[in-house]
Amino acid sequence: MPKKARRSEAATISPEPHFLKPGKYYLQGNQACIEGALMAGCCVYAGYPITPAVETMEYASKRFPQVGGRFIQMEDEIASACALIGSSWGGVKAMTATSGPGFSLMQEAISIAIMSETPMVIIDIQRAGPGQGYITASQQDIMQARWGHHGDGPIIALAPSSVQEMFDLTIEAFNLSERWRTPVLVMVEETVGHMWESLIVPSRDEIEVIERKKPQDLGIMPQDYLPWGHDIVAPMANWGEGYNVNFVALVHLEDGNISRYSPQANYHCVERLQNKIEGNVNQIARIETKFLEGCKHIIVCYGAVSRTAMEAIIDAREMSGLELGYVRLVTLWPFPEEKLREIIGDVDTIFVPEMNLGMMKHPITEALRDRCRKVVSIPSLGILHSPEYILSKIYEEIS
Amino acid sequence: MKRHPMLKYLKEEGPMGPRMPLIFCPGCGSGQVLNYTLHAVDEIIGEDKIRKEQFLFISGIGCSGRITSHYLNFDSAWTIHGRALAVATGALLANPAFKIIVFTGDGDTGSIGGNHFIHACRRNIDVTILCLNNGLYGMTGGQHAPTTPIGTITTTTPYRNREAAFDLCKLAEIAGASYVARWTTAHPRQVIKSIMKGIRKKGTAFIEILSQCPVHERMLPVALLKRFKESTIRISKTEESRHGKTPIGEFCDVDRKEWNESYQEIIDQFLAVNGKAHEQIVD
Repeated sequence: MPKKARRSEAATISPEPHFLKPGKYYLQGNQACIEGALMAGCCVYAGYPITPAVETMEYASKRFPQVGGRFIQMEDEIASACALIGSSWGGVKAMTATSGPGFSLMQEAISIAIMSETPMVIIDIQRAGPGQGYITASQQDIMQARWGHHGDGPIIALAPSSVQEMFDLTIEAFNLSERWRTPVLVMVEETVGHMWESLIVPSRDEIEVIERKKPQDLGIMPQDYLPWGHDIVAPMANWGEGYNVNFVALVHLEDGNISRYSPQANYHCVERLQNKIEGNVNQIARIETKFLEGCKHIIVCYGAVSRTAMEAIIDAREMSGLELGYVRLVTLWPFPEEKLREIIGDVDTIFVPEMNLGMMKHPITEALRDRCRKVVSIPSLGILHSPEYILSKIYEEIS
Repeated sequence: MKRHPMLKYLKEEGPMGPRMPLIFCPGCGSGQVLNYTLHAVDEIIGEDKIRKEQFLFISGIGCSGRITSHYLNFDSAWTIHGRALAVATGALLANPAFKIIVFTGDGDTGSIGGNHFIHACRRNIDVTILCLNNGLYGMTGGQHAPTTPIGTITTTTPYRNREAAFDLCKLAEIAGASYVARWTTAHPRQVIKSIMKGIRKKGTAFIEILSQCPVHERMLPVALLKRFKESTIRISKTEESRHGKTPIGEFCDVDRKEWNESYQEIIDQFLAVNGKAHEQIVD
C-alpha cells in the first residue's frame, strides 16, 4: 500500500486539449456539443451511429484525436455507455451521444452509473417514437430520462435550445457530473441537433471548468478512503492511483462493503443518492423567465419549443396586447418545483407546448395546481410548433 | 497457522468491517482461479517493471463476477452482466497503461456479452480475459448456458438441452484475439503460466478455464477435478486421436497491433501539427 497518496499518471491523454480560439463560428448543434465537451476537458468519446445523432459522432471522430483524446466506435449503445463508466473511473471525462432506441439500450449502464456515482455525459438527440418512430424531432424521451433506468435513482438532465446552448450546456453537463458525481443527460431535439447557427466561443479562462473532488486533495489515505463516503458527494479516487477501489453497483456501505446487507443499509444507500441530487435541486436546476410581471397566462416550455414559444409571446403582445409570461426549464431534472413556486404566483392558465403528448405537463401540474386555474398541454408530433399554432391553441382556450 | 501467501493481495478487512470469507461455495473453482491469478500477478510484479497500481480487475455478473466484488486489494470493478469488456475498453481509452484482467463466466461471455467479447477480440484491446467455464449459470441456480453440452439436464432444460455448445476458444481465435488458451482448474501450473503470458501479451488474451460447480453438478469437487483430467486432451494431439475429449492447451499465440498502439499513431500525426488542429476542421 502506498504510504503517500499520489495521482496516477492516468491519461497519457492530454488534459489540455486544443480549444477553439475565441471568436464566432458557424456550426451545427450536433457539432457544437463536441466543442463544448473538449472545452470542458472531455478526453474520451465512445459511441454508436444512429440518426439523428450521427453528426456528433462523426465530428467527434475528427476532433478527439486532434486534441490528444480518443474516439471509439463501439459495437452498440450498451457498450458505448459501459465504456464511459470505464473511462470515467480510469480518470478522464467521457461522453457519448445517441437517440431514442440507443438511449433505451443505455439505460442499464445509466442506472449502474447512478449507483456507483460515476460522472459521465450522455447526449440524447431525441427522435420521434415509440418504436423506430421517425427520425424527426421530438421531446419524447424526457420522462425516460428521469424514469427509464431501473431502480430509484435520481438524474440530472438539461435541455438546450440553440447551437450556443449545445456548447454552453454541454460544458455545464460535464461540470454538474463532476461536481455531483453522477451521470448527466443533455436532452436535445433533432431540431437543435441539426440546427446551424452562430456560436460565440469565449476565451478559455472565461469558462468555468469543474473537476471531481479527489481524496488526495483532502489528505485522505488509501486505508481510510471511503469511495462512497466522507461527504454527500464523495471524493473520487480513480483507478490506478493506489486507492484499491472496489467499484460496486450493488447496495453498499460507504467503503464499498457489500457483505453487510440490511434493509437499513439499503435505504441509507439509495436515500443518500436521492438526497444528493433532489436535495440540492436549487443549486443544480436553472430556469429562465421573461415577461412574468402581472401576467394572467404563462407558457412553460423547454428546448427547441421555447424558441417558437418566445416568438408567440412577442407576437401576442404586439398584435393583440395579450400579455403572456415566459418560463423556460433549462434543467428538466431534478425538477425545480420550489423555484417555479417562487416565481409563479396566481395565474389563470399555464400552457405547456411540448413535442410529445404532454409529458412535462405532469410535474408542472403537480407543482402548480394550486397556483392556477388550469394547466393546458399543447402537443405537437413530428414538427416543431409554429408560433401561430401555439397562439391559436392559446386563443382557443382563453376566448 | 501459516497464512496463505496470496492473502497479501486480498482485503480481509475494510474501513467498515470484515470482507471475508469469500462468497464461493465449498469446492467451487472460482477460488482456485483467483489463487492462480494472484500467483501470476505476483510473479509479474516481481519480474517485470509493472506496479501493483497498474493492475485493474474487471468482472461482469455471475459467480465469476464475485471474484472482484470486494475482496481484492487492487483497483477492481464488479460491473454489468456481460459488459466487463466494454468497461475495460473504456478504461483503456482513459489510460493505456492499465494491466486489465477480466474475470468472466461462460454465460457472461458467451451469451449476454457475446457481442462485446467478439469485438474486444477483433479490436485486440490489451486485456487478459479469464473465462471460468462451468457449463451453466451457477449464481441463478443452475440454468443451461451456451456452453452446456447437448443432452444435459439443467433447471431450464428439464427435457435435456437440445442446443449445441459454443467453443469459446475457437470464437476468440477467429475474432482476432492474440493469445488463446484453454485449461481446467486441475491444471494450476499451466493456468498460471498462461495468465502470465496473457498479461505480457500486448493485445487480447483469452484464457478459458473449465471450472467445477459441485453444487449444481451434484458431485464431489475431487471427482469433478478428476473428470477434468480424464475428459481433456492436449491440443497437439490430432483430431482423430482425441476420442471426443476436450482439447486443452494454447490455441494461438500471435502478435497483432493492439488498439491503443494503433490509435496512438493517429494522435501522433496531430501532435506534430499541434495548435493548428482546430482550424482544419472548423471553417
